[in-house]
Amino acid sequence: MKITRMHGAGGTVMQKLIKETILGNLENTSVNGGIGLESLDDASTIPLGDKEIVFTVDGHTVKPIFFPGGDIGRISVCGTVNDLSVMGATPIALSLSIILPEGFDIENLDKIMKSINEACKEAEVSVITGDTKVSNVDDIIISSAGIGIVGLGNAVRDSGMKEGDVIIVSGNIGEHGLTILLTREGFEFESELKSDVAPINGLVKSVLDAGFKINAMKDPTRGGLADSLNEMAEKSGLGILIHEDKLPISNEVQFIGEALGIDPLTVANEGKVVMAVRAEDSEKILEILKIHPLGKNAKIIGTVTSEHKGVLMETLVGKRIVDTPLGDPIPRVC
Amino acid sequence: MELKRIDVKGIVQGVGFRPFVYRIARENKLKGHVKNMGNYVEILVQGNSNDISLFLSDLISKKPPLSHLNDIKITNITSKEIYSDFFIKLSEKTENEEEGTIPPDISICDECLYEIMNKNDRREGYAFTACTNCGPRFTVIEKLPYDRENTSMDDFSLCEACKLEYENPKDRRFHAQATCCKNCGPNLFITDKYGKIISKSIYDAVKFLENGKILAIKGIGGTHLVCSSSSDTAVLELRKRLNRPTQAFAIMTKVEYINYFSDTSKVELNTILSPKRPIVALKKNKFYKNYFSAHVSNLDTIGVMLPYSGLHYLLFENTNEISYIMTSANLPGLPMSVDNDQILEKLGDIADYFLLHDRKIINRCDDSVLKEINKKMIFLRRSRGYAPEPVEIINQENIKYNKKNILALGPELNSVACLVKNNKFYLTQYIGNTGKYETFNYLKSAVLNLIKITNTNKIDAIVCDLHPEFNSTHFANELGKKYGCKVVQIQHHESHAYSLIGDSDNFKNNITIAIDGLGYGNDGNIWGGEIFLFKDKNIERIGHLKEHFQPGGDLASKYPLRMLLSILKEFLEVKELLEFISRYGYFSEKELKILIFQLEKGINVSKTTSTGRILDSISALLSVCFEKTYDGEPSIRLEALANSYSGLNAEIENAVKESIEITGNVLNTTKIVQKCYEMLIYHEPVEKIAYFAHIALSDGLSKIAIENAKKYSIEYVGITGGVSYNKIICERIIENIEKESLKPLFHEKIPNGDGGISFGQAVGYLLNLDKYDKI
Ligand SMILES: [Fe+3]
Ligand SMILES: [Mg+2]
Ligand SMILES: [Zn+2]
Ligand SMILES: [Zn+2]
Repeated sequence: MKITRMHGAGGTVMQKLIKETILGNLENTSVNGGIGLESLDDASTIPLGDKEIVFTVDGHTVKPIFFPGGDIGRISVCGTVNDLSVMGATPIALSLSIILPEGFDIENLDKIMKSINEACKEAEVSVITGDTKVSNVDDIIISSAGIGIVGLGNAVRDSGMKEGDVIIVSGNIGEHGLTILLTREGFEFESELKSDVAPINGLVKSVLDAGFKINAMKDPTRGGLADSLNEMAEKSGLGILIHEDKLPISNEVQFIGEALGIDPLTVANEGKVVMAVRAEDSEKILEILKIHPLGKNAKIIGTVTSEHKGVLMETLVGKRIVDTPLGDPIPRVC
Repeated sequence: MELKRIDVKGIVQGVGFRPFVYRIARENKLKGHVKNMGNYVEILVQGNSNDISLFLSDLISKKPPLSHLNDIKITNITSKEIYSDFFIKLSEKTENEEEGTIPPDISICDECLYEIMNKNDRREGYAFTACTNCGPRFTVIEKLPYDRENTSMDDFSLCEACKLEYENPKDRRFHAQATCCKNCGPNLFITDKYGKIISKSIYDAVKFLENGKILAIKGIGGTHLVCSSSSDTAVLELRKRLNRPTQAFAIMTKVEYINYFSDTSKVELNTILSPKRPIVALKKNKFYKNYFSAHVSNLDTIGVMLPYSGLHYLLFENTNEISYIMTSANLPGLPMSVDNDQILEKLGDIADYFLLHDRKIINRCDDSVLKEINKKMIFLRRSRGYAPEPVEIINQENIKYNKKNILALGPELNSVACLVKNNKFYLTQYIGNTGKYETFNYLKSAVLNLIKITNTNKIDAIVCDLHPEFNSTHFANELGKKYGCKVVQIQHHESHAYSLIGDSDNFKNNITIAIDGLGYGNDGNIWGGEIFLFKDKNIERIGHLKEHFQPGGDLASKYPLRMLLSILKEFLEVKELLEFISRYGYFSEKELKILIFQLEKGINVSKTTSTGRILDSISALLSVCFEKTYDGEPSIRLEALANSYSGLNAEIENAVKESIEITGNVLNTTKIVQKCYEMLIYHEPVEKIAYFAHIALSDGLSKIAIENAKKYSIEYVGITGGVSYNKIICERIIENIEKESLKPLFHEKIPNGDGGISFGQAVGYLLNLDKYDKI
């Protein structure tokens, strides 16, 4: 079988590839009893003394490389920083591996590097190592690994949510993915729609610094919120019930999503976090999130339950099962 | 003197079979016993051989009306034992894996009805009156054998008077598991929306209905929302509260009133009067509007059923109303509520009052719906009165003698599951849209109940749809793990074709036209206008409608103008297209811009050959329907419009001929839509355009099918799928087939639409066992 686009779409097809072909062939996957590759969390850890080093890597390709709200440089920093952040870690340093195609415009590379610099300053991280190659690729590819620090045993796992927990999402969903889709296809904008790409370490830190515990956390990127919630539910063996009318969605995303028949729940974000917290803390955490500019649209969207597995959404008429998106949606209504 | 054991299988429980055996045994001077074995009845008779053969012929010729004898096995017994009498032995629990059959619910019999209406009878006015010849079966049973303790009647112990009847073999209530009376049976009461009891008299419910109130009425196997069908205010209020703007309501009326408002054929009348008491879609006559609010049905037909329980008959006492709206008590897509608490919780904002009772409904069962097409009654929905009665196949050896237990889980919408065991295809009651979580759970419980009431303890294979995202596909994999068996996926339209083949019990080579709204195709596209060649047990797609782009996936099903836009774009310039579509005033400028962008770039656009989408587009083109609020709405209303056209004439026939273009067995539906568009531009009447579209589609499909039948020397041409409920299309295709001296195959016992998919999945699996066994 050959790799198809579906294998990179972040859905079940991709999960299968990772579990079988990639994980299946690796034997050494963890260090010092830290969180290893097999848990497929947002990042892994290496315990050292009373701290854990948190480590992650992310390859970035995006078409187009410049889009409303950001560019590939900004994504390369934020994607990696956010993976560290949702582990509860403080991001410190990044690496950059840049693969350039022949004929790539140096002016564009300059713009990208400036954007990387901006994002690093926002996130308060440094690029401390790097590599540049020119190769036979379609467009620029940037891989960035990142290192962060968390107190021993304090890493927030995908699997950590408990029954009765409340699910909070930090802001409007679906903006990045829709922006990319429309820009890629050359839609002429008279729309305020733009990517949400941003480093969320400051936002997460504000909650942790206030002394609250976050039981589980993810950044809903590819596959959207639907994918992250399903992963959290599956890894904890519990269910999540969300409410359609409580999802934070901007009017623009709602409108364009409805016009295209694309469910914002399944669309990528690059500057959001979804967390499971204790019910009694939830209102206070929501308040803290709302103070931060990146959290002003934060909302409580649901609860964790043992009454069912997977993710259910309460709609106007009855409940709907929110599946892990498979890739492109397939019509099912006669 | 001889001693014989006779084992009888079939519908022999809960139908007065044992008292009948008792009677004929005594009449023929035989000794011995009759015993309920859980899933069959054992009879032991001792006497002279002449009397025994008389007994056997009585057994077959005089059997109770509701019983059905599938298999009678006679064994000679050598025993010294001398029986002194004939008696009925208590039921015996068995663990064997033989088939047992629970009869469906049936309407109240004349004798019970007479008692209810008779001032001097002790059951006068008692809503739950039943006997061995009538009343609930499937809806009250929890498990086999059909004994009182295994039913929801277990909560009601018999009073002295009832007990005497129950124990008297000569009484029609002998071992009638649902028998009861005012003193010992279920109690009726009326509550407000908080569950507070405000009356115990059904006549107060009648008064509420007369005053235009909406009632939730818990009946025998389900719950209805009920209101006057003549009051505009009541009907509109119900529509508003249910959020059901247009879908026609069914009504209940008494048989003497039917002719007032509808023209009925003999087959329709027979069906409506049968003890199964389904809803039948009847043609309205010109007096219809004198009796009904215009908001009951916006079609040319109305769904009608007769009272089927004592409770219903009592609703027609002390009132001048000749009919009531009777619609399943559920929000669209969700299962009907059947527990008192749930009824109050879910329907609290919909009904004003609640007529409830204290008997549990074990298996909820929606009303069945039938319609006459080509002078035969066909199932739109096969449920109460029919489920779980099995269907058998006689003309295919592999299936007939197959010993494997197969479970087929059906499609996603209009879901029905099917369990096959010893060539009995048990279809569940109607389940509904399993895309809804609640309805998906209903599917799960209905399947598990079916497994239980058929004494099934192994499943050898599970069949489900090919669609990767259906909940039923996930359920199939889950069950496959539980039973340790394989899971096989069969394509939706192939299942439709297998369903037709199995239903007509004709396994000779055929061409089948499978037309409907949507199914996931073998090529990853969306199918719905398919022509199959069935040859030597193999099925092959040989033709179809032209592929069109379906923009926005499910949105294009919900908003038919999207589909129209997509097809018009194939032959109109964008500027012209925008100008034309803007006239409908339906899309905003921005929306239209995104839609065109979507089509041009192929964003979330599928390819589809669906017949439903073509009819939808024309429905939108003619401003019949811009938003689908129930299954098939755009095309159902288009059909109603076409029906108001006078019929075939030379002009239409010419237009049809001109618009049919077939290349490589693909019908160019763009040409048909384009012709409709041109007719509209030239201000032809919309009825005429609607009618033209129906005939053009029918003739185009027929042509492909007939040409191939000739090419492959095939005698039979079948038609199936949801669009075959369209009377104009279906009858036209059958007419075309017969004109060519070919033989049409059409449904009879199984729904044409998705309610027949699980049956087809099972047939398809069993037909190709050798292939699937290798997997
Ligand atoms: Fe279908
Ligand atoms: Mg995480
Ligand atoms: Zn009776
Ligand atoms: Zn009694």
